[in-house]
Amino acid sequence: MESGLQHRPRTPPRRRSLLRAWLSAWGLSPVFVVGVALLALAPLWARDAYLQRLLVVSLYFGALAMTFDFTGGFINAVNFGFAGFVGLGAYVATLVVRNAELSAWVGLPAAALATGLVGFLTGLLTLPLRGIYVSLMSWFVGMTLMALAGALKDVTRGARGLVVPPMAEGITTLGYLYVLLVMAVALYLLLHRIIRSRAGLAFRAVGQNFDAACASGVDPTRYKLLNFTLSCACAGFLGGFYAHFVGIVTPAIMDTSYTMEVMTLSFIGGSGSLLGGVVASFLLIPIFDSLKYLMEYRLIIYGLMLILVMIFYPAGLYGLYQTAAQALRQRFQRR
Amino acid sequence: MDLLTLQGLLMTGLLRGGLYALMAVGLALVFGVMNICHFAHGEYYVLGAYAAFFAHVTWGLHPAIAILVAAVLSFLAGAVSEKLLFYPLRKLNQSGWVMNAFLLTAGLSVVLQSTYRLAFGTKYRGITQYWNASVTLFGMTVAADRLVAFGIALVTISGLWLFLQKTPTGRAIRAVSQDERGAMLMGIDLDRIQTLTFALGSMLAGIGGASLLSLSPAYPYAGSKPLISSWFVVTIAGLGNIYGAVVGGFIVGLFESVSYFALGQGWQEVASLLLLMLLLLFKPTGLFGTNIKTVWE
Repeated sequence: MESGLQHRPRTPPRRRSLLRAWLSAWGLSPVFVVGVALLALAPLWARDAYLQRLLVVSLYFGALAMTFDFTGGFINAVNFGFAGFVGLGAYVATLVVRNAELSAWVGLPAAALATGLVGFLTGLLTLPLRGIYVSLMSWFVGMTLMALAGALKDVTRGARGLVVPPMAEGITTLGYLYVLLVMAVALYLLLHRIIRSRAGLAFRAVGQNFDAACASGVDPTRYKLLNFTLSCACAGFLGGFYAHFVGIVTPAIMDTSYTMEVMTLSFIGGSGSLLGGVVASFLLIPIFDSLKYLMEYRLIIYGLMLILVMIFYPAGLYGLYQTAAQALRQRFQRR
Repeated sequence: MDLLTLQGLLMTGLLRGGLYALMAVGLALVFGVMNICHFAHGEYYVLGAYAAFFAHVTWGLHPAIAILVAAVLSFLAGAVSEKLLFYPLRKLNQSGWVMNAFLLTAGLSVVLQSTYRLAFGTKYRGITQYWNASVTLFGMTVAADRLVAFGIALVTISGLWLFLQKTPTGRAIRAVSQDERGAMLMGIDLDRIQTLTFALGSMLAGIGGASLLSLSPAYPYAGSKPLISSWFVVTIAGLGNIYGAVVGGFIVGLFESVSYFALGQGWQEVASLLLLMLLLLFKPTGLFGTNIKTVWE
C-alpha cells in the first residue's frame, strides 16, 4: 500500500473548461445524457407496446435503486424496509385519488409526504444508534405496514387490493414513460445536487468513518436523518407513480423480496454512484423479462449476484466503469 | 378474559417463547462472535423442518432420530455456508464488515428460499404429530408434541450453556466474542471458531424447525415468521447477548400471544413495533444490552 502511494506517477492537474465543470456539478455525465436522450426519443425506436412497458418498468426499478443508493451508498444505512415505504406511497396515492377524488398531482406529493414522515420517525428512533439498527427497524416498520395493509380491510380491501384509476384521462404507456422520465431526472438532479453540496460531504464522512466524522464536528444524526427522510419520501413518490401505472395495489407490493431486488440492483450498479443502479436495472430487467424461463430462477440469480458482488467486486458496475475510464485516460495521456 | 383463557394464553406464550429463545440464542451467538446480522437464520429453520420431515416420513425413522438428523444436517449446512461465503468475505474485504455480511446473508436467504422452492415445490410438508399423546396440565390438555418441543428447546439451550461455560472450545468462543484480537493472540484459531459458531447457530435453528414440524409444516417460506420474531427478540434483549435472548424469547412469546388475542392479526404487529419503539426510546441497548463488543462497523 505504501509503496503504491510512492510510485504513483504524478499527473498534472488537468484544466477543465467551464462547461465541463458545470456539467459535472449538475451530474450531467455522458452516460446520463445519452440515456435520457435515448428514452426521450423512445417513440422513434420503441413502437412496440411491450418494449415501451419494459422501458417504464426498468426505469422505475432504476429510479428506486437510485433512491436506495442515496442512503445505502452514502450514509451506509441500508433501508431494509424499502418495499414497505414504496408500498405505503402507493397506498397513500391511491387512497387520495380514490377517496378524496383529487388528481394524481395531489396524490403523488401526498405519498411522498406520508412516507417521508414515517421515514423521519423511523430514523429519529434509530439513526442515533449504529447503522444496523436502522436496517432492522425499517424492516420491522415495512413488515408492519404490510400486515396493516392486509388487515385494514375497510380501507385497503386487504389482499384483494385496490383498483387505481389511470394518472390522466387516456394516458398511454408512452405517456407514463415521459412522466416517469421527468420524475426520475428531477429526482436525480435533486439527489446529485445534495451529494455535491456540503451535506453530501457530511453524508460520505458519516458513512465511511463514523467516529472520525463525529470528531470533526459533523452532527451525524442530523445528516443521516435528512438523508433517510428524503430517500423514503422519494420511494413513496415513485411508489405512487407505480400504483397508477400498474392499476392495482395489493399488500404484496411491500414484500421483502422487492427490497432485495432493488438492493441487488443498487449494489450491482455500484454503491455510492446513484446512476449505477439505473444502468444495472436497464441491463438486467429486460434480460429477465425476455427470457421467460429465467423468471423462475430470477430471485436465485439476484441473490447469487448480490453474494458474488459483495464478496468479489464490491465496487460494482460503477467501479468497472471507473477502472475502464481510468485506463483509457492513461492511454490517451501517454500518447 | 376469564381465568381459563388467561391460562391458555400463558401456556401458548410460554411454549412459543421456548422456540423463540432457541432461535434467538442462535442469532445472538452468531452476532456476538462474528458480528453478522444473520438474515438467513430462518432458512436453516426450514432446512431442519425438511430434514426431519423426510427422515421421519420418507425413511420412517423414530422422531428423536429424525430431529437428530435435522440437527446434524443444519450444523453441516451452517459450516459449509460459513466456509463458502463468510470466510472469503472476511479475507477479501475487511471494511464495512457488518453491513456487507448482513447483505450477504440477505442474498443467501433469497437463494436458499428459491432453492427449496425449486427442489420441493410450494407444497406444505407437515405431520399431524410425532407422539400420539396429550398431557393434562393445570386443567388444560396440551399435545405432547408441544411439550416435547419445549423440552428440546430447554435442553438444547442448557447444553449450549454448559458447552460455552465448561469446555475449552466453548471458552474460546466466548473469548472471541469478547475480544477478537486478544483471543487470536492467545493462540485461538479464529477461522475454526467462526465456522463452529455459525454451524452451532444454524443447528439451533434447525432443531427448532425439526421439533415444531407437527405445529408448523415445512414449506419454502416457513422461515420468515420465526426469523422476524427472533430478530425482534434479539433487538429487545440487546444484540449479541446470548443469555438475554433466552429471557427475551419468553417475553416476546407471552407478549405476542396476549396481543394477538387482544388485537388480532395486523394490529398485533403494530403492538410489537410500538414496544420496540418504546424500548429504543428509553433503552436503546436493549433490556439486557451490554457493551461487550465494540467492533461494530
